[in-house]
Amino acid sequence: MNKTLILAGALSAALVGTAHAESVLKVALNADIRSTDPGVNRDTNSDAVIMHITEGLVAFREDATVGPLLAKDVQVSDDGLRYTFHLRDGVKFQNGKALTSADVLWTWKRFLDPKTQWRCAPEFDGHGGAKIVDISAQDPLTVVFTLDKPNGLFLTSTALPECGGSGILSADSLNADGSWKTPVGTGPFQLGEWKPGQYVELLRNPNYTPRDEKEPDGYTGNKSTSLDRVRLLVIPDPAAAKAALLSKNVDLLIDVTPLDATELAAHSGVRVTSSGTMSVNALLFQTRDPLLKDVRLRQAIAHALDSAQIVEALTGGRSKANNSMVASGSHYHTAVEDQGFTFDPAKTAQLLREAGYKGEPIKLIVNKRYAAIFDMGVFVQAMAKASGINLELETLEWGTQLERYQSGNYQMMAFPYSERLDPALSFDSMTGDKDKESRKVWDNPQAREWLREAQREGDISKRQALFDQLHQQMIKDVPMIPMYNGNAIAASRDYVKGLRTWPVSKPRLWTVSVPAAGSN
Amino acid sequence: MFRFISQRLAMSVPTLLLISLMVFAIIRLVPGDPALLMLGDMADAHSLEVARSSLGLDQPLPVQFVIWLKAVLSGDLGHSITTNEAVLPLILDRFQMSAGIVLVSVLLAALIAVPAGLLSAWKQDSALDFGVVSTATLLLSIPSFWLGLLLLYAFGIKLGWLPVVGYVSFGQSPWQALSFIVLPIVTLTLVELGAITRMARASAIEVLRLEYITHARAKGLSERAVLWRHALRNSFAPTLTLIGLILGNLLSGIAVLETVFTLPGIGRLMVDAIYARDYPVLQGCLLLVTFVYVLVNLLVDLLYPLFDPRVKL
Amino acid sequence: MNKPLPVAPEVMLPAPVRAPRAWRVPPLNALIGAFLLGLLLIMAALGLVWTPHDPLALNLLARLQAPTAAHWLGTDEYGRDVLSRLMIGAHTSLWVSVLTVSMAIIAGTFLGLLAGFLRGWVDRGLMMINDALLAFPGILLALGLMAIIGPSLYGIVFALSLAYTPSVVRVVRGTVLSLREKEFVEASRVIGNSELYTMLRHIAPNCVAPVCVLATSMFGWAILAESSLSFLGLGVPPPAATWGNMLAASRPYIATASWLGLFPGVCIAMALLAFNLCGDALRDRLDPRMSK
Repeated sequence: MNKTLILAGALSAALVGTAHAESVLKVALNADIRSTDPGVNRDTNSDAVIMHITEGLVAFREDATVGPLLAKDVQVSDDGLRYTFHLRDGVKFQNGKALTSADVLWTWKRFLDPKTQWRCAPEFDGHGGAKIVDISAQDPLTVVFTLDKPNGLFLTSTALPECGGSGILSADSLNADGSWKTPVGTGPFQLGEWKPGQYVELLRNPNYTPRDEKEPDGYTGNKSTSLDRVRLLVIPDPAAAKAALLSKNVDLLIDVTPLDATELAAHSGVRVTSSGTMSVNALLFQTRDPLLKDVRLRQAIAHALDSAQIVEALTGGRSKANNSMVASGSHYHTAVEDQGFTFDPAKTAQLLREAGYKGEPIKLIVNKRYAAIFDMGVFVQAMAKASGINLELETLEWGTQLERYQSGNYQMMAFPYSERLDPALSFDSMTGDKDKESRKVWDNPQAREWLREAQREGDISKRQALFDQLHQQMIKDVPMIPMYNGNAIAASRDYVKGLRTWPVSKPRLWTVSVPAAGSN
Repeated sequence: MFRFISQRLAMSVPTLLLISLMVFAIIRLVPGDPALLMLGDMADAHSLEVARSSLGLDQPLPVQFVIWLKAVLSGDLGHSITTNEAVLPLILDRFQMSAGIVLVSVLLAALIAVPAGLLSAWKQDSALDFGVVSTATLLLSIPSFWLGLLLLYAFGIKLGWLPVVGYVSFGQSPWQALSFIVLPIVTLTLVELGAITRMARASAIEVLRLEYITHARAKGLSERAVLWRHALRNSFAPTLTLIGLILGNLLSGIAVLETVFTLPGIGRLMVDAIYARDYPVLQGCLLLVTFVYVLVNLLVDLLYPLFDPRVKL
Repeated sequence: MNKPLPVAPEVMLPAPVRAPRAWRVPPLNALIGAFLLGLLLIMAALGLVWTPHDPLALNLLARLQAPTAAHWLGTDEYGRDVLSRLMIGAHTSLWVSVLTVSMAIIAGTFLGLLAGFLRGWVDRGLMMINDALLAFPGILLALGLMAIIGPSLYGIVFALSLAYTPSVVRVVRGTVLSLREKEFVEASRVIGNSELYTMLRHIAPNCVAPVCVLATSMFGWAILAESSLSFLGLGVPPPAATWGNMLAASRPYIATASWLGLFPGVCIAMALLAFNLCGDALRDRLDPRMSK
């Protein structure tokens, strides 16, 4: 048996050796992807993978602002209705065909066709966000989008990962009958093989045409890669993923909890890289609950929690407490947003007395799917107890908690909001009319009005003023306690170089390099 | 014989139907649906509605059930909601791996346990018997997942001999595949060893006490012949029932072991389908597992007369 | 999953009730079993009134500590004292199994008697549902029921007892059917006793022995099943401690804090061993064919 193994090993080494030493990165993926169709049948992991294969006209830069990607530049007309995109010359699809404005028209026509079921269609057909009234090509390298009214979020929306970054596809992505075949895009990687439940393999795109910049910049910039192959192994279980990294079965974990990160960092040969993201971990109140409808009780709970200490403990000091819906990493986060809830047990005691609270139990829903959410619940409960507030943890399975969130059927819950890359989108996730949408947490007509303005407005300083007002009002109303913005924490073997995390909690594997096979 | 088989299969139809109905109802009673899970916290009323109607979830439940049942009767188990794969090939693929592990380990366990039990019964009350019984009872008392964790710790992490995670199918690389499934097989074998040994010993003790064994001995047959020719064969029948039941139960119980060893088997598929509310996959899995359960029981009943001449079909 | 393992055939065969034998020295397996069981019961009982530390008190400065003088069995991922949690967990785990077994026995005996007594279509209907339940994976049952009842200790108990009831039904029904035509039952009818009286007076008592033996094994299965469910994230929800969810929670730390999984694992194995040994002893006593 030993001999056979050695022989087999030598044989495969020889086979590889004759070509060239291959550079392969093995990454753990915590769940399988849902499909390879950008923004259609999707979840976080599907987005993360597809963003390596396809590229949109614009994309997020390192600082989460939007910059051109397939477009050389973007011009917005003075009335804010017409967006003119000039495509870069010489960009090729993975199948070698050149990218032209016809491909952009074809892709967008498909996106906006209700039959495609593109996740983001409502953002562009007038259901939710903007309404595109016309897309036309002026020449092979110029495309013009026309909106019905000005919209401050149009470019941001097209760049969102959950929309697949509105990646431009070649028509070869579809079968002859119009069904989905495989993504043919312009990204630095192309899809190798997807073995459901086991792995997704990406291969270097030989036809990749980089931008002129020297460096990668978020999802844009120069995305040339030295990797030949990336194998994303589906390892749903965090414990197994950790063990796999420690035993070098994988090179990189892209989604590590803060507590695990502290533990892994202690191992020699493992490096931890992290940065704050724009996701929000928050405590939600049901403001229509007979007990919690009293704002004094909600304020009392807010003053009972030392957010700074909780967040320090939860994230091992990686995140700072942020009681605002404007993410710490956003350029809209200013000194105003730093003013959050103060830790003041005396105030809590007074408010509790005023509200006539007599130790009635309050149920706090948590889940075990998101370790950080469960841990947050555990800490909050312990701290509230010290102030005489009786929180009871109710651990639900994630699907069940989502249903409760959606229907508003809870007293309190610890909830993870996935990242919204603009404060207007963050506020929109929690602000609204509870009678119409029971999932909305904050029902304040004035706030709704401010939010509508912020969604329309394109001017940065006017938007800033609106966000400041929204934040200050939210601190007064206490419909929820945003605790902190999540972390993108990656743990890798020390031979993995060039790994970068950024405010968007998605990996960018083109920046990574590993030694070619055989040398580690 | 043929009548017996077809009769038994026909009898299982109501059971299968009942189970399908139970699964269908229970999984839909669980809060949260696939559309909601797919959209997560990004779900707004409009996109939820679109997703639900595209999945056919806006139809009344009885209609959904009839649609599903009709498709199943024509051999179509539908498509996974999460990955859009066809359910039948998907569950067969996952089933293959789980069934392989279960079969091999039960077979191994039986090969060791039956002779051990017989020997122990033959030497009842000896030190050997005591040793076998104590070991078997001890093995019976160790939870499979804990044993799996201990083995994983020892061979995967401390010694580093075996990979701790991943799976490669036999078609791709037999040696590598073996390295992934050797620990699960050892774990299961050890755990089943306890139950089967005890059962084999108990039934052998009964048989050895019967008259015809005394008779055989009186005829001057050697102890060895008595033991292997008569006692083994006749004491195997109840053990076979046990093995059958273990096989039937393991397939649904293997989820935990597949979680410990992160193997993509039918058990994990089932658990993941529950979490993702992937109705078609879950319904397919349950149908398959139940059907296998029925088949294994049938097989045991068919084999029974081979070992126990008193029973006729 | 973790379906009740098959009932050994000798358990299914009823033994006629006989006069209790004179007391004799209990066999070794009974002694060891009772000793282990006693140990666990003392641990559980003590845990109710006293633990070395507060089993729910967090201490983030003392996460994942190896055993020390202050924490005899070390601390877990939140810095909670493992020994204290094991003691509380002993109570929870044993309570789950006692409740589960009692419910399964009561429901199973009743239904088994009913099926065996009424026979006909009631029997057929009951047995069909019974078979379906036997073939039905317990995970799904547990998840479904917990979602409906709410995730709690009682949700688990309800789900597990529903999963175990069919085995009891089988044993009781088997006993009833095999006894119906026996001479002493016939005799009771001939004297003019009603069917119901005969059933309760002459048949039901004969079910006690096999049900007792089955129950002893079921205690172990229930503990095992709760642990398995915890592993799949469907057990008694944390922060409450059970041996099962402690073992499941230790898994991520297998490489770094391996002792964390050791103690709950040992406790589960000890409990199973105790129940198995007691079950053997009980079987030997009630069913003399197996003893020497």
